[in-house]
Amino acid sequence: MWQQLLTNGLVSAATYLLLAVGFMLIFWVGKFFHFAHAIVFTAGAYMAFLLTKWLSLPLLISITLAVLFSTVLGCLIEGFVYRPLTRKVASPLVLLLASLGVYIVLQNLISITFGDDTKSIRVGPIVEGLNVFGSKITLIQILIVCVSVISVSAVALLLRKTKIGKAMRATASNPELAKVSGIDTDRIILWSFALGSALAGVAGILMALDVDMIPTMGMNALMMGIVAVLIGGVGSIAGVALGALLLGMAQHLGVLYISSQWQDAIAFVILLAFLLFKPEGFMGKKIRKATA
Amino acid sequence: MDYLLHILILIGIYVILSVSLNLIAGYAGLLSIAHAAFYGVGAYVAALMALNLHSTFLVNIICAVIVSGLLGALVGIPSLRIRDDYFVIATFAFQVITFSILNNWVSFTGGPMGLPGIPQPTIFGLQVSSHLGFLIFIALFCALTLWVTRRIVRSPFGRVLKAIREDEVFAQTAGKNVAAYKIIVFVVGAGMAAVAGVMYAYYISFIDPTSFTVMESIFIISIVIIGGTGSLWGPVAGAVVLVLLPELLRFLGLPSSVAANLRQIIYGGLLVAFMMWRPRGFLGEYAFHRKEARE
Amino acid sequence: MSQALLEANGLFRSFDGVQALSNFSCSLRQNEILGLFGPNGAGKTTLFNVVTGFISPERGRLSLKNSDITGLPSYRLANLGIARTFQDLRLIRQLSVLENVLLSFRNQPGERLGNLFFRSKKSHDHEALNRQTAIELLEDAGIVEKADDRADNLSYGQQKLLSLVCCLASGAQVLLLDEPVAGIAPEMIDKILGIIRNLPSKGKSVILIEHNLDAVMRVCDRVIFMDAGAKVSEGTPEEVRNDPRVIEAYID
Repeated sequence: MWQQLLTNGLVSAATYLLLAVGFMLIFWVGKFFHFAHAIVFTAGAYMAFLLTKWLSLPLLISITLAVLFSTVLGCLIEGFVYRPLTRKVASPLVLLLASLGVYIVLQNLISITFGDDTKSIRVGPIVEGLNVFGSKITLIQILIVCVSVISVSAVALLLRKTKIGKAMRATASNPELAKVSGIDTDRIILWSFALGSALAGVAGILMALDVDMIPTMGMNALMMGIVAVLIGGVGSIAGVALGALLLGMAQHLGVLYISSQWQDAIAFVILLAFLLFKPEGFMGKKIRKATA
Repeated sequence: MDYLLHILILIGIYVILSVSLNLIAGYAGLLSIAHAAFYGVGAYVAALMALNLHSTFLVNIICAVIVSGLLGALVGIPSLRIRDDYFVIATFAFQVITFSILNNWVSFTGGPMGLPGIPQPTIFGLQVSSHLGFLIFIALFCALTLWVTRRIVRSPFGRVLKAIREDEVFAQTAGKNVAAYKIIVFVVGAGMAAVAGVMYAYYISFIDPTSFTVMESIFIISIVIIGGTGSLWGPVAGAVVLVLLPELLRFLGLPSSVAANLRQIIYGGLLVAFMMWRPRGFLGEYAFHRKEARE
Repeated sequence: MSQALLEANGLFRSFDGVQALSNFSCSLRQNEILGLFGPNGAGKTTLFNVVTGFISPERGRLSLKNSDITGLPSYRLANLGIARTFQDLRLIRQLSVLENVLLSFRNQPGERLGNLFFRSKKSHDHEALNRQTAIELLEDAGIVEKADDRADNLSYGQQKLLSLVCCLASGAQVLLLDEPVAGIAPEMIDKILGIIRNLPSKGKSVILIEHNLDAVMRVCDRVIFMDAGAKVSEGTPEEVRNDPRVIEAYID
């Protein structure tokens, strides 16, 4: 029994992780609370649906194009909404509210276009899944875990070894200094959006392949991702991975003691606990409120 | 005619909700998306008492205000320690947790099925049953809410709220116990929202958790922001516009599901538009500026 | 038992490894103007932050009229009779000049909701009284014609004057002024220094942080020179100015 819960926890953690890393990149580099990340996630899944079911394109091509679409969508939001606002030195709250507005508009556009019922891009018959260590796991779920681990490792490597990665880290820790050293921070922020949104698109498609899609799937998934980021700490990929793992495990293993309907509430109680007592997470830098 | 009365009643409910949230978010500068939780708790407390204890309207509304006020104090506590954009996330968490409790504690709250059959309220011996009766009732509560709010914001207390909104450090230096003010404003705002919830419960005579979700909270804050933060009549204007708008859509003959989505697109779009061009809203005076940084 | 109004004993405080206050002690006597100067980063503003409760000392004690006030929250200290201005000029810009002054009064019944609704006459009368006092203070300062203007409509010098008026409105006995004349025109400097010089005769005591040495010399009864969180020299303005340690610290 607990092995199954462990496996489920792992799969959940993997999905949260993809979304969390993307969100964290954007928040860390640009300081944007990009709530609309949730709709980039959802849009990726729905674009895949549109391409496979309405245009009858092959699955792999659809997925690639859908990820591309997510990337572009994220960049458009940055360019048309966030950038003009930061030019006006808008406060974090104004950015957050704008982000919320963007999410609402886009989510409802998806609802109008595709309807609120569940849509699927799953292929093949519903199979029981393979038996691994006494628990069942489907191929898609194995794929989710693998893609998640590989992508996140790739991002970590990118941040550590590549020029763009270093520029991102510089912009994240001290934008003024980065600008003075010749880094085009605007372009770097755009890159963080591109990368983060691509990850979100991938996550959305993978989740849809596992459990189908509805227009509101993004908000909840993103909140889980945010909890993971808060647990792990902004600026640390390892931290976020740890956070996602802890969250996935807590939610699923928690079923042993509490009914599964409380999963979301558990995640949010954890969120509150971290916000109140350890807002920098396990590995991040302090963001505690100014008490002057 | 009944339809018109219905719209007016809804406007009345949203006026109370937005004016009370404006006190918290517009005057004290504490942006919160937990307001639907206060609204819902008020509705549920009154409904549960009416259905199970058969207590009078007056007792029910007082209890609803108290319980909601306590929840308000709880939600206000994180604002003492967390920066304002993270605090919004904390309020989001409170909202979802409250919804979760309303939706999942089936034995107590009826879960997703909700609470049907809420009896009509009897006030001063008169049973309120008609639309007109409810409208008069709501109008009275609106007037009361506006009167209380006006009293507060024009007073030294209100002056301190505005000071806290801009610079907590200055307020502290002036001898103001900032923490106490924040908690109090949440308690008052939550209590007022509970009144709206109670009216809603009695009017519709059936409540379920879907009326008190995060999206509802976001709708209420949108009213406050679009109507104008930190002004007395801004939220009223916002409530009128944002409640009427979707009703006008209905006359365009759209299927109701599309109309619902379109309504959200409109206020989501207005939210973005206002943030980009006029963050203080139509009639407002506070645009969520950067708070003063630490010493 | 010391005669001092405000006393700091052995204060220590560090940030990120930098020692901002190092075994710092001083005392402020009744009706005196004490100057505090020293190079940037000497710990002067940190001292103010500790005395006004925004930062707690790692070690050391603070006392006001012989009562221990160490560790009390800032609003409590403000109500016990300590008022301050800020180096980066804090005011509530969205409120009017008059409202800023009104905000600074302590113990206003209208600030409590209970009074507002159940003792409204008392609140109303108190507010009217405060209003009168506020206008008089603004008249004395010469900016009463700006009373209903937004605070950010004032010039920089006028805003500094307003901060001082707010301190006066507070009724506090101890005023901590952080660079009250920095960056303003000479006429305004004279005006503000004139007000400060008269404060002891109104029963107030002042600690003044200033880089403007001339101002310090003109106004202060005693002066402390700080460097790297420690007190280097203390005495009359003349004594300290000629202290070789002070001269050396400035040359460094």
